[in-house]
Amino acid sequence: MTYSPTPPKPPLFSVRNLRLSFPDHAHKPLFGAAPRIEVLKGLDLDIPEGRITGIVGESGSGKSTFGRVLVRLLEPDTGEVLFDGQDISTLDENALRPLRRNLQMIFQDPMSSLNPRHKVWRIIAQPMKRYKCGGTREDAVNALEKVGLPADFADRYPHELSGGQRQRVGIARAIALQPRFILADEIVSGLDVSSQAQVLSLLQNLAREMGLTIAFISHDLSVIRHLCDEVIVLNHGEIVDCGPVEEVFSNPQSDITKSLLSAIPRPEIDESWFN
Amino acid sequence: MTTQPHEKTLEIRQLNATLPNGMRLLRDVSLTLEPGEVRALVGESGAGKSMIGRAVLGILPSAVVHSSGDILLEGQSLNALRPKTRRSTVAKMSALIPQDPLTALNPVRKIGPQITDPLVRIHRWSRDRALKRALELLERVHIRNPERVINSYPHELSGGMRQRILIAAAFAPSPRLIVADEPTTALDVTVQKQILQLIRELQRETGTAVLFVTHDMGVVAKISQKVTVLFAGRVLEDAPTEAIFNDATHPYTRGLIAATPTPNATAEPFRPVPQDLIAQLQRDTQAEDMRFYQGGRK
Amino acid sequence: MVDATMPLRRRRFRVRNLRFWIPLTWIMMLVLAALCAPLIAPHDPLAQDLFLERLPPFFMDGAEPGYWLGTDSLGRDVLSRMIYGARIALFVSVIAAVSTGIFGSTLGLLAGYYGGWWDRVISRLVDIWMAFPPVLFAVLLVAVMGTGLTSVIAAIALIDWTRFARVIRAETMVQAHMDYVDSARIGGARRFTTLVSEILPNVMPSIIALLMLEMGIAVIVEAILSFVNLSISSDDPTWGSMIAEGRGAIHFAWWVLLFPLITLFLTVLSFSTLGEGIKKKFDPVLSS
Repeated sequence: MTYSPTPPKPPLFSVRNLRLSFPDHAHKPLFGAAPRIEVLKGLDLDIPEGRITGIVGESGSGKSTFGRVLVRLLEPDTGEVLFDGQDISTLDENALRPLRRNLQMIFQDPMSSLNPRHKVWRIIAQPMKRYKCGGTREDAVNALEKVGLPADFADRYPHELSGGQRQRVGIARAIALQPRFILADEIVSGLDVSSQAQVLSLLQNLAREMGLTIAFISHDLSVIRHLCDEVIVLNHGEIVDCGPVEEVFSNPQSDITKSLLSAIPRPEIDESWFN
Repeated sequence: MTTQPHEKTLEIRQLNATLPNGMRLLRDVSLTLEPGEVRALVGESGAGKSMIGRAVLGILPSAVVHSSGDILLEGQSLNALRPKTRRSTVAKMSALIPQDPLTALNPVRKIGPQITDPLVRIHRWSRDRALKRALELLERVHIRNPERVINSYPHELSGGMRQRILIAAAFAPSPRLIVADEPTTALDVTVQKQILQLIRELQRETGTAVLFVTHDMGVVAKISQKVTVLFAGRVLEDAPTEAIFNDATHPYTRGLIAATPTPNATAEPFRPVPQDLIAQLQRDTQAEDMRFYQGGRK
Repeated sequence: MVDATMPLRRRRFRVRNLRFWIPLTWIMMLVLAALCAPLIAPHDPLAQDLFLERLPPFFMDGAEPGYWLGTDSLGRDVLSRMIYGARIALFVSVIAAVSTGIFGSTLGLLAGYYGGWWDRVISRLVDIWMAFPPVLFAVLLVAVMGTGLTSVIAAIALIDWTRFARVIRAETMVQAHMDYVDSARIGGARRFTTLVSEILPNVMPSIIALLMLEMGIAVIVEAILSFVNLSISSDDPTWGSMIAEGRGAIHFAWWVLLFPLITLFLTVLSFSTLGEGIKKKFDPVLSS
């Protein structure tokens, strides 16, 4: 299934026939190479500029792997990943480095993605310094302000923050570079509902203000419903549903999307839910 | 196991738990659980919901130095028992469905003995009877090839399969009480639904009471008949599930329900529990701690 | 009256710190003794006096004032020899441990982070190295290079770098899989920069703990080599040579053996305990 969204602007990402496999070490024979497991089975899709695209699927659907290919933490086996017209799928690390400023990422687990031995301001400022767009303590404080954290958080260590605050630091680090693209990989799955709601509305506001292009990976269709403009449903490395959020939710094409939607336990009494 | 069940499977009276540094994990928690009932313990992280389940099973972390209050299983006060008797009583009457199916099974042992060992050791069943019961339960939790599965190792099975096995193991001795500690948090929604359904069916068939620990108000609405809402180790609200979702009395409960995202187009997105409400609750808790310590110092 | 648990908290605080402060005090005492040996040693450690041979320590009958821990079979003052012995012991342990640590940790970091050929070559080297019997290896080395402090230090570094390489490699591999390493890549950091400024600070507490352990081991190895007379000249006072000499006289002058032995034991124990304590103090996560 190919998915091209409606807006006339050229897409920021164009992905064509993207395939990726991992060696399966569990079934490696005594001699010879391990067999490979196909994780992405020929994806074709576009990610429009200035919008939030949700990527949803169950565990094993390949959604995180796909995200990591977009920001080129992983290299695909075959296929094209056109970022702003340039194929980045086979670039090496040195060629990627100047591009990385525009390919930012917010990680699932802010505890492990923020170096426990660096202070918050240094975590935010270091990438800015590398890309010569600031990098002083003041710049870091400004970025913190944007995500609603007071200035005195600059001198704290990550472990002194709550989960929601850490995730704000992760967002601050990403937006401080004013990138053209941000990948958000399950960024609220470890948070309580309350801080989850705060982080999501923050991200939504920032996206509107700054016109960010975000790929938002999640297993939670409820969150996607309210945050995203477009949605792509993955299952076992293939696209099974895609389109504007309203369309996909009101009229899901595949059984996978339907069963995902019906399995969400809504906070209301409903005796017929189990049937 | 043929004795008439006591009218209250579980009764917790004024349970307190404190860390060595004086931090209170549980603050005067009281609740009851009747036979065949599912009670949800709900709250955000740090609310002490798992701690209650652990206290009932007698597996509180060793760092908890001080705990007071009493727990009654089938009318039997656990405080009145010596540690050894207490452990065997709890083991005979209750079981745990743990949160993480990936680490709850011993990776170097086959599934079979991991289910049958407790039956033989604690409940003094014969090996044959235990094995028969294990196969019966595995079939009951919709595992297609039970004979093959009991000879498998945990890593050969998926997360959903392993959680089914843990459910089978928990229900195998027909315990009076099961503590389910966030049993579906690590699972995909579609698998979560199957697992919830399974727990509900088995629980209804056997009349086992379930203490269901969760942070998800959606899950609460589907699985439980009674709800205890916790904040900072304190019971804020204790009511039938219908009352909670139709007309919750405590604003925090209403906040939790509103904050739970739904795929409904009409719902207003991302409403966190109001900050001033949380601040107020924290102040209340502190004031209560003041009274607690001053009272304890007399 | 606000916080009823205050005394409890303070008590735990103290116990944890005793395990840090007692070994530290012992080590500091040794350092002081080593630095000021000429000032505090009551006698010349080499001065022999056959009229004063095998004097017992001060608490026994027949003790001579001024010879607190007695004398050995050549009439040399045991306390003074131990104080001078601390100089050699500490010098060897610091230099040997630091050079072992730098060499081994660097290889461990490279193998753990870059993987691939780096890892294969370094890991094989470690395996091969560890297959040699260490004491034999040391004796062989000293025999080839000649006795002396430099040989002792070189022997320790050449044998024990594998300890650092193995532990630091494993630790680095764990850290290399953390998301903060990926996020440094996302932030445009070079591979080597990531290793030095992101991973190294996280591995540092382990390096320091190992360093402390290695100092203790170095003291032991030096003592062993002295014991078999392969360290420095046997006139120079080292704990190992004192123990070796004391062994011959154990039935009539046990103190010549026992006091250096106790000192050695306490020093090694202090180093390894201190390592754990320092590791905790340096860790922002553990120390809070």
